[in-house]
Amino acid sequence: MDRYLYDGTSEGLLSAVAHILAGERDVERVTLGERENTLFEEGVYLATNTAAAEEFFSRLQMQASEAVYTFYYFTMAEKDGMETSMLRYLALAMQHGSKVNGYLTNPSVKEIVTVSRKAGRELHRMKGLLRFEKLQDGAYLARMEPDNNIIHPLALHFSKRLRAEDWFIYDVRRRIAARWHRGSLTLGSIEQFTAPALSEEEKAVQALWKTFFGTIAIPERRNPRLQKSSMPMKYWKYLTEKQG
Amino acid sequence: METLAKLQVLSGAARYDASCASSGCRREGNPYSTGNTSQSGICHSWSDDGRCISLLKILLSNDCIYDCAYCVNRSSNPVERASFEAREVVDLTMEFYRRNYIEGLFLSSAVMKSPDQTMERMISVVETLRTEERFRGYIHLKIIPGCGPELVRKAGLHADRISVNIELPSHESLKRLAPQKEKFSILEPMSLIGKEITESLVERRSRGKAPKFAPAGQSTQMIVGASPESDFQILRLSEGLYRKMNLKRVYYSAFVPVNHDNRLPVLAAPPLLREHRLYQADWLLRFYGFTAAEILSDDMPNLDESFDPKTAWALRHPEFYPVEINRADYATLLRVPGIGVTSARRIIAARRFSVITPEGLRKIGVVMKRAKYFITCSGRPFEKTERSPLLLRNRLLLGDGGDVVPSAPPKQLVLPGLLA
Repeated sequence: MDRYLYDGTSEGLLSAVAHILAGERDVERVTLGERENTLFEEGVYLATNTAAAEEFFSRLQMQASEAVYTFYYFTMAEKDGMETSMLRYLALAMQHGSKVNGYLTNPSVKEIVTVSRKAGRELHRMKGLLRFEKLQDGAYLARMEPDNNIIHPLALHFSKRLRAEDWFIYDVRRRIAARWHRGSLTLGSIEQFTAPALSEEEKAVQALWKTFFGTIAIPERRNPRLQKSSMPMKYWKYLTEKQG
Repeated sequence: METLAKLQVLSGAARYDASCASSGCRREGNPYSTGNTSQSGICHSWSDDGRCISLLKILLSNDCIYDCAYCVNRSSNPVERASFEAREVVDLTMEFYRRNYIEGLFLSSAVMKSPDQTMERMISVVETLRTEERFRGYIHLKIIPGCGPELVRKAGLHADRISVNIELPSHESLKRLAPQKEKFSILEPMSLIGKEITESLVERRSRGKAPKFAPAGQSTQMIVGASPESDFQILRLSEGLYRKMNLKRVYYSAFVPVNHDNRLPVLAAPPLLREHRLYQADWLLRFYGFTAAEILSDDMPNLDESFDPKTAWALRHPEFYPVEINRADYATLLRVPGIGVTSARRIIAARRFSVITPEGLRKIGVVMKRAKYFITCSGRPFEKTERSPLLLRNRLLLGDGGDVVPSAPPKQLVLPGLLA
């Protein structure tokens, strides 16, 4: 087994994969991992080559567009230690094209597709569960703590939906925020966050929503287990209807 | 009355409508509008009964001139009455939508002065939303039976989905429990909607800018357990609605007794398991290539409460099994208990790469605890037991059979109105 190392960035991963695949080696006999810079670390370090990463990415887009999505969602999961599986998955993608995601009986494909599907599912879920609150200056703010780093595609979703408003989405865990202001979207990190004051009418609208949430359930069909399995409690923290 | 108090009355009165889908059409927003719709639909919350909330589901009014036996809003019921102003509904929808509480509006209503007058008021709410507020989110509009065809056409031009409730599974029950609603006043708008949807699709093929008519299709709902129809009658009705009227969905709503009326059955609890089995059978009709006559018959008119309908079919047809995973076509795979649409597709996709092993089947996501009795993998069976249906039945029931109910409670259906 030959071991290769890279710097831990998505770009570095792609350029390392490009390098290994160009060597026409049997990927089943190669492992890839993030460099930790310890004294006894073994393996060949592959420095990030931006041009090679970009070239590989555009080839992937041509030959296996589905795999590009899978890779994109996989990076949102921020999972360490799966680089070898990704290497083997991408090798298969170059060989078989987009239908590679159907090769679920292959352990590497199964692993990558599962992780990426989970991130995709949380993104879809958050499109529904995100809650905006109206601030004093008329802009809207939503806070969240998702497992996956989904803020970018999530913000893109709302930039198509709530175009006329100004809003922020803040990922509390990762301290990053998306801002939609006068029709343009920016992403950035936030060092210190202080919750701004809410607008006057906000409390009244929240009371209306809580009332609706309470009365729309049929008492004879009460089923808290079903509710929790569809809407896990980890998301309740920022749900307006689940506050006080 | 304050908006909050009205909302309480008019969402409480709307909750017995089962549909909350926001799927089936994709519409982009534009810089001057609010909202868009997503093809797959988006659920925004789940209420305490575990049902998803994706639309602001309310009645425009619960002040009804009709007196249907099963309905909480019937005129003889001493409940608090309320009606929204159009502006109130518009503001609620927009405020909720901007905070991402909802995907859009589902507006229904009791019949106020007349079907036409009610439908006109409902349409004017939706018109305000679409034109003044430039709202491009999802709208589901209920059609009031008996309103004029022009109003139905207008509704379909503004709403994504429209629905007429069939209410009860037979003409006789409708006559008995909802004497003011006529069968033709329900079926006529349904077939008109079906025709308009088809025509709009045809026209849009030749002229891309032709207006869309109810792009997310038509649905309906019926109450299950308030009248004596068998599951077979219900499924045949649904089958006809899907085939002839081209409906997107038929919803089944377990009867919740909200009134005392000697025309209604006395139930200890709403028939939720029956409703669940009907939905499973409905899925078999729509996605699994089953016909109603395969699922049930005159000799066996009701769904087995202990087994899901596909497992029940499998137990009656031992000659169909075992199915060879590595050779069977899609339609055959779909007949295996434990293999759904997703895993059948995945099996077909994975077979292109290599022969599927038992380990591979698990990776694909097949529910092995049910499937193992009905399949072979490269000629090898999973279970060595002989396949006597009775033995299988017991193993599925007692073992880790999955979606089976160990001991079916005896059906209690008392229909005093019928026996009197």
